[in-house]
Amino acid sequence: MSAFLAGLRFEALSLKRERAVWLALGALVAAILFSLHTGAARVETQKSLVAAARAEEAQRIEGLKKTLAKLEAGDAKDEPPPYRDPRNAAFMGGGPAARVAALAPTPLALAAVGQSDLFPPVVKVTTASKDSFLYADEIENPANLMSGSTDLAFVIVFVYPLVLLALTFNLLAGEREQGTLAMTLASARNPRATLAGKLAARVLAPIGATLLAAALGIAAFAGASALASPSFIALATIILLYGLFWAALACAVDGLGKSSSFNALTLICAFVVVTMLAPAGINSLAGYAHPAPSRIDMVLAARAASTDADKARDAALARYTDEHSHEKRDRAREGTLRRLATQEAAFQRVEGVIAQHDAQLDRQRAVADRLSFVSPALLTYRALADVAGAGEARYRGFLDRIAAFHVEWRDFFLSRAKAGTAMTAADYGALPRFAEQGEQTSADMAAPLAGALIPTVLLAIFAARGLRRVRP
Amino acid sequence: MSDMALAPVAQVAPTRRTHVIRPVAAKEFLEMRRDRRLLALFAFAALLTLASLGFGAAENARLTRERAAAAEADRLLWTSQGAKNPHAAAHFGQYAFKPTSPLSLADPGVDPYVGSAVWLEAHKQNEAQFRAARDGGIAARLGGLSAAFILQTVAPLIVLLAGFASFSGERESGTLKQLLSLGARPRDLLAGKAVALLGASAALLAPAAIGAAVAVATMTDANRFSLADQFLRLAAMTAGYAVYLAGFVFLALGVSALAKSSRAALVTLLAFWLVNSFLAPRLATDVARGLAPTPTAQEFRAAIAKDKAKSFGHDETHPAFIAFRDEVLKKYGVKDVKDLPVSFRGLSLRKDDENGYAIFDRHFGALQGAYERQDALRASAGFLFPLLALRPFSMAFAGSDSRAQFDFAAAAEAHRRDIQNEVSDNIIHFQRDESYVAGTELWKRIAAFSYRAPAVGFAASGSGEAIAGLIGWLALTVAFALFAIRRLRPL
Repeated sequence: MSAFLAGLRFEALSLKRERAVWLALGALVAAILFSLHTGAARVETQKSLVAAARAEEAQRIEGLKKTLAKLEAGDAKDEPPPYRDPRNAAFMGGGPAARVAALAPTPLALAAVGQSDLFPPVVKVTTASKDSFLYADEIENPANLMSGSTDLAFVIVFVYPLVLLALTFNLLAGEREQGTLAMTLASARNPRATLAGKLAARVLAPIGATLLAAALGIAAFAGASALASPSFIALATIILLYGLFWAALACAVDGLGKSSSFNALTLICAFVVVTMLAPAGINSLAGYAHPAPSRIDMVLAARAASTDADKARDAALARYTDEHSHEKRDRAREGTLRRLATQEAAFQRVEGVIAQHDAQLDRQRAVADRLSFVSPALLTYRALADVAGAGEARYRGFLDRIAAFHVEWRDFFLSRAKAGTAMTAADYGALPRFAEQGEQTSADMAAPLAGALIPTVLLAIFAARGLRRVRP
Repeated sequence: MSDMALAPVAQVAPTRRTHVIRPVAAKEFLEMRRDRRLLALFAFAALLTLASLGFGAAENARLTRERAAAAEADRLLWTSQGAKNPHAAAHFGQYAFKPTSPLSLADPGVDPYVGSAVWLEAHKQNEAQFRAARDGGIAARLGGLSAAFILQTVAPLIVLLAGFASFSGERESGTLKQLLSLGARPRDLLAGKAVALLGASAALLAPAAIGAAVAVATMTDANRFSLADQFLRLAAMTAGYAVYLAGFVFLALGVSALAKSSRAALVTLLAFWLVNSFLAPRLATDVARGLAPTPTAQEFRAAIAKDKAKSFGHDETHPAFIAFRDEVLKKYGVKDVKDLPVSFRGLSLRKDDENGYAIFDRHFGALQGAYERQDALRASAGFLFPLLALRPFSMAFAGSDSRAQFDFAAAAEAHRRDIQNEVSDNIIHFQRDESYVAGTELWKRIAAFSYRAPAVGFAASGSGEAIAGLIGWLALTVAFALFAIRRLRPL
């Protein structure tokens, strides 16, 4: 143990004297703090989007209540058309009274953009079929979406391993090339423990700096309470494991006994494969095996359904008019019934198409999930997005809850519309509310932990064998 | 390095420059050919490029099929919608589908991040819907496998790995001293090494250019796209990537000449590669977003709604409606709309649409302006970090950038206006009461949306900053390499 500590202390001292090490660690810490700063600004924007949507909803519903009160009191000048009449349940649930379903940012939302730039945090649920409201996008320059943001997940996945590799790629090779390896091995009572201590110093410096910077940044930009959340422990574990994976890889390559240049080239190639090519390849393979469904099919299905329903309504109306030619036609009522019929037909058809699409996406996701074990970088990126509450699972959960709320919302309005009952002030007071999930998110850590831990252990075993073989 | 063919240099060194450049280039080629790791990297990059072109071609063909089928199905829905009032048909509307650009198989650009379908309905200009990236999952955010991705990130890395030891390696093995003492001019050494590395860059570029050319020649629908135009675009893209990689060649040579050791040269070049490939695009995006902010969707729609509220829509009590009615009555010299020889409803719909067109043009134009400011800001550092210049350049010529999307959106909106105008005209001339309906004849007379993507000149006209950035990058790196070799000293 003393040899290990002696090696660690000696290496720490020599690292302290290297300006390049300070520069690399300083750049890493600065990148982490910058990413958390921009992350905090992004979270504020998300919060303001939700607040603005809620304010707009409150104002809109208040306006409907006021108009309703005027109509009920007989103060209105003219009879409003059905689509502006707050008593008309068929039209009000379809837009004017639309309810906001929001996804609140989690305490660690500043850590990763994840899917949050593609899925708006607010959806306005109506009685219409989902194609009309579920796929609305937030405004964003597509080139910005393509480039991505400098978030903590990016810094951890791409920058952090390079700093780790820069410090660990030539522990043995460097000493061998400088001619100091023989002296190190000869002067130590337990050479391997000494080397392990030196290695630990080089690994712990970037990992420690990263963890410390992340904790400080999160405390500064999200509040110290965020550090007490289980998500932060998960975040720290992911950072630690991912760092150990790259350190183990660097040691395994260094243990082969080749030159510094060989190590550097091999590791940079490994970096490119693990962080860039494997995720891109997985994405392409999964997409090729199970192409993403065409959302246009959904729209066409909705349009076809509403056209069919329109025609069916025409036919029914024609028959009715033939049989009851003496009766006066109530145009407003006819408009309402037509809307109900077309909406119902579109709803049924779209639900069927969305179910097919979801099944197809599930198959694509299953392939991507199975393949993702070849890239600890992808697993880490995904886990960080989950910890930040911006991962796929949380958005799927959000969409599922919207689907359930959509059914409740439709029942509320359509039951009244079908019965021909006018909406009242009491009804507006009892509008269904979207049950918001708490701010916490439960990230599934099993896959990323296993995906990073298993290769780390295997590489560490390989590295240990290399260390045992080391000769001056 | 030690097996360098010195004899030809020694014999002719003081005479003609080409007699130095040629053997130096030949020697560099020979060394690259002997380096099995480097050869494996080149082979791997070529295979990866061809595989990514294969994936791109399959995806492109699938999207083209899907959109063509969707356009046909939507046309059928439009023409078979049955008898109804023309304005109800305008509300039902049509869909416009963006045709996939043939070269997006090599560079999909922003295509996954923009919608592919626009609903052309009455009263509203809609944005394109259904971003494919929403369905792509987290893995897609780390980049998709495309020829552009390989050439933009992997190819420069291979160039740097092939060139980092060009001078520093010779210095470490002692051959640089020999070369210089024999009278070889540093500039000629630079030229010789550059020729070899430029040849290697061409080898990286060739599979992509040839593969893309074959794919475009076999897959392009000549009815929709001009093949000659696609080849011009591909030639421009190839030239852009060649300039990009050439800059890396001179950067590697310059750093190698200045660095104290090969290791230092490698570390410096890798650090630059990291910044160029990963950090610069993201940092530039964060800066651009901060300096040229865009409105939120709610703000954008609220601003349009505020302006639209000044027009009357279907509100017959609106002061603007009453003013328009009075103006029409005065023009026709009648006292009541019932006495008009045309349908007042049709006239009011047309007037409201015309009011809307100006409002939409203003707001969507401002949004496009904001995007273009952001894009210009991002590309402004392209001469230092060339990916910032190459990416927009490549997307523009592949027909998969934001400008191409705006061009499509503008064409879709023009078609929407044609529909509105035709429908309103029909109402103006034929509607006599509320029960008026039109039928299949009118729906068929209203044309289907047909879009032809603009020619290569359109891409070039919007790529001024990117082209300047790429030229600046090459000029800067050449100047840097020339500066570095002036300080070339043996150990």
